[in-house]
Amino acid sequence: MSDEKKKYGLISAIIMGLGGAIGFEIFALLNYAYFGLAGPSMISALAFCGIINLITMLSYSELSAAIPEVGGEYTYTKVAFGGVICFMAGCLRWLASVFGGALAAVVFVEQLGVLFSVFAPSIQDLVLANVSILIVGLVVVLIILAIRGVEEASTLIVAAFLAIFIIFLAVSTGYTLTPQNIVPEASGSSIMYFFATAAYLFPMFVGMRALVAGAPQIKNPGKNVPRALMVTTVVLTVVYFAVAYVAVGAVPLGGEIAGEELPLLNIAANEVMGPVGAILFALAGIIASVSSVGTAMTVQSSILGGMSRDGYLPAAVQRVHKRFGTRYIAIIASSLFVVFFGVSGAVAFLGYAASFGSLLVFALVNLSLIQLRRKMPRLDRPFKAPLYPLTPLAGIVMSVLLLAFPVILRDVNAESALLSSFGMVAVVLVTYYLRMVKREIDFNRLQVAVGGICFGAGVTLILLAPVIAPPSMFLAMIIFGLVSIIAGILNILVPTRKID
Amino acid sequence: MELRRIISALTGVAQSTIGVLSAVLAVLLFFNILEVQNVFDVPAELLPLYLLCLVLFSMFSVLSGLLLVRELRQRITERRKLAVE
Repeated sequence: MSDEKKKYGLISAIIMGLGGAIGFEIFALLNYAYFGLAGPSMISALAFCGIINLITMLSYSELSAAIPEVGGEYTYTKVAFGGVICFMAGCLRWLASVFGGALAAVVFVEQLGVLFSVFAPSIQDLVLANVSILIVGLVVVLIILAIRGVEEASTLIVAAFLAIFIIFLAVSTGYTLTPQNIVPEASGSSIMYFFATAAYLFPMFVGMRALVAGAPQIKNPGKNVPRALMVTTVVLTVVYFAVAYVAVGAVPLGGEIAGEELPLLNIAANEVMGPVGAILFALAGIIASVSSVGTAMTVQSSILGGMSRDGYLPAAVQRVHKRFGTRYIAIIASSLFVVFFGVSGAVAFLGYAASFGSLLVFALVNLSLIQLRRKMPRLDRPFKAPLYPLTPLAGIVMSVLLLAFPVILRDVNAESALLSSFGMVAVVLVTYYLRMVKREIDFNRLQVAVGGICFGAGVTLILLAPVIAPPSMFLAMIIFGLVSIIAGILNILVPTRKID
Repeated sequence: MELRRIISALTGVAQSTIGVLSAVLAVLLFFNILEVQNVFDVPAELLPLYLLCLVLFSMFSVLSGLLLVRELRQRITERRKLAVE
């Protein structure tokens, strides 16, 4: 009874979803989407994102109501498939969180710069000159706080954000804002840019998964979680659409005040509300990014801990701090990756990378729904996704399409992000193989696999050397390539040596 | 066949060294020590990709090299056991 009393109701569940979703992403992602991709039609791309999110949230709702356990996507894929797919879902979710955390760290420094630009330009220069040091500093402080188990005041942050956005929208009613071309033109390239923008802006919505992960803490999850997910999606879509509409109206593309030096939202706040608006939004950006880095660390440690508990990762990962009761090894390990990617400062790359990880997880969740309907038809489902199997299939198709469009468009940031994601997936598969398969059998198969990879890498290196190597490095690359090929062949031939 | 094992071990050592050198290069690029980003003319937006390629190459090179060295070590251990028996 006392446990039931501690659980959250519908309103708290909605706040949980909004708290997970409303954050630094709106400060980071609108800029490139507006100035670098779709222009004003970014607004309709946001609405499109909301629709795709809604479709996948129907699958999430069914799964969270049927399996109200801690772990979210990882748990669903574990029940539906188990093995490598659940391991991959956990890793992709972790990766998306790492890229998101890194992006939040970059936004923190960016907003700090914006804040100082208003009343202390000399400090702004100092901030911009020491971006890497500030990111490392922020992550170190948050590692300490995360290990100490400091709780975040998410409700307060959500309330503050909504209040700032409402003030921004209310003040903007005094202006005549009529953004042009908010619907993409009916041409091939406009449509491509529209979809690429939707893919890029997708991380603005995915944070609401916090609601699914927290389903066990919600009263009557079968009813409340689906309702909260639907309400959160609608509220988010409306708020984002309205804020982006005002921002685009206040900062017309090619106008006097347009530029990429400052984030779009900060320029718009300055235009609509004056210096007070600029300070207010910069403060909101700082708070949101700090909170997001902190949340990312908690999420990462929880995912790694869960995977370690299931035997996919070494037991040391779930080691708990004696004094603070937190998984300090998992927190430190994840934070190293956050620092690594954060210091790069590549906002567009990180945005795409976070988005791609999330989209792949969304596709896996939809696949899990289909698999569970087939595998466990009698499972108690307090909520069922309507129009099955069209809903999960649409979710899968949309996720894959959103992955593909930015790459077809030859956006260099998207290509780097996709290659990085595939590279990470390759590492994940090798790790899984090492961890789960190699326990039982000898090293021969591993040696052949690694040999194959090295042989391929060596050949690629030799083929690429004339194209990419500077003259001073040409010979070194050829030698490295040859060594890799020889080592690859020797590794591949290992079974014959064993027979000898 | 003993010669082939020795060649394997030597190749393994060379490959592991290359792997470690790649990891060092990744660190140099990451922190832009000695202005290596300019030396190799690496665009800022492609830096994470370069780093990822280097880290992956480094990881597999070290792993492959160690597997080759391990083979010779195993053989030596087996011989010692036989000698003791």
